[in-house]
Amino acid sequence: MTRTARKEQKEATHRRLVEIGIDFFAERGFANSNTADFAKAAEVSHGTVFLHFPTREALVLRVLDAFGDRLATALKIAMEGEARLEGVLRAHLGVLREYEPFYARLVQEGPLLPMKARSLLFILHASVSHRMNVVAQREAASGSLRRIPRHQLFNTWIALIHYYIANRDIFAPGDSVLDAKGEELVDCFLKLVRN
Amino acid sequence: MSIKCVSCGSCGFPMENPEDFALGDPSQPHCRYCTDSTGALLPYEAVLATNARHYVESQGVSPEAARNMAAALLASMPAWRNRPGVAAQ
Repeated sequence: MTRTARKEQKEATHRRLVEIGIDFFAERGFANSNTADFAKAAEVSHGTVFLHFPTREALVLRVLDAFGDRLATALKIAMEGEARLEGVLRAHLGVLREYEPFYARLVQEGPLLPMKARSLLFILHASVSHRMNVVAQREAASGSLRRIPRHQLFNTWIALIHYYIANRDIFAPGDSVLDAKGEELVDCFLKLVRN
Repeated sequence: MSIKCVSCGSCGFPMENPEDFALGDPSQPHCRYCTDSTGALLPYEAVLATNARHYVESQGVSPEAARNMAAALLASMPAWRNRPGVAAQ
């Protein structure tokens, strides 16, 4: 095998491990999982895992990076054309719905994760907060929405949906809580902020 | 999700449209927020301050925590990961 082929194979394995990592951590969580179990799930040797990720934390952070990239891109694309708050909220939930199992782990275990992981979640929030603010200011100017400071508008929304996501096993056992409760949450939030 | 766009090598901002890139040029590695009018990357402190401000303005995070979170995020970015004194947390 040539050096280039070996490099490509190594990169392909790396990508595959990251993909499997997203499903693995979504299912097991971050705190209660180890690299030995990850190697089994990925059907590779423990040594192969360490070849790509020298520590468990390196694996977690690489998977979080990949997840963050995807979510950031998906949020940007979904929200960009939305001109009304209702549309932005639905677009936000639509993206989170697609990644709900992994996102729920981030919400549930976020405060226990390294600062890098927490900063990732908060920077994703910043993009949603920005979009909400752009459309909310417009609607407030037309009188249809209350004037609420940007961070309070966003934090109220995220607190509402994170409560349901963090407790998804209770609100929607075996199901997507955003499928089950998403419409209700959007309606509730809009009633709170509309004039 | 199969859609993939590149992200800024300095702050991670997803760059999809030409105007997202420095100088409006999709061949640039950094976004318009991390660069000056010539397309050059801004100093680390300036990028750090801009990112920290995002956390404060968007979510009311305390300024000190916002700076710590921004530093943690930048530490793994290609533009800053080899900068002396910057270590991924």
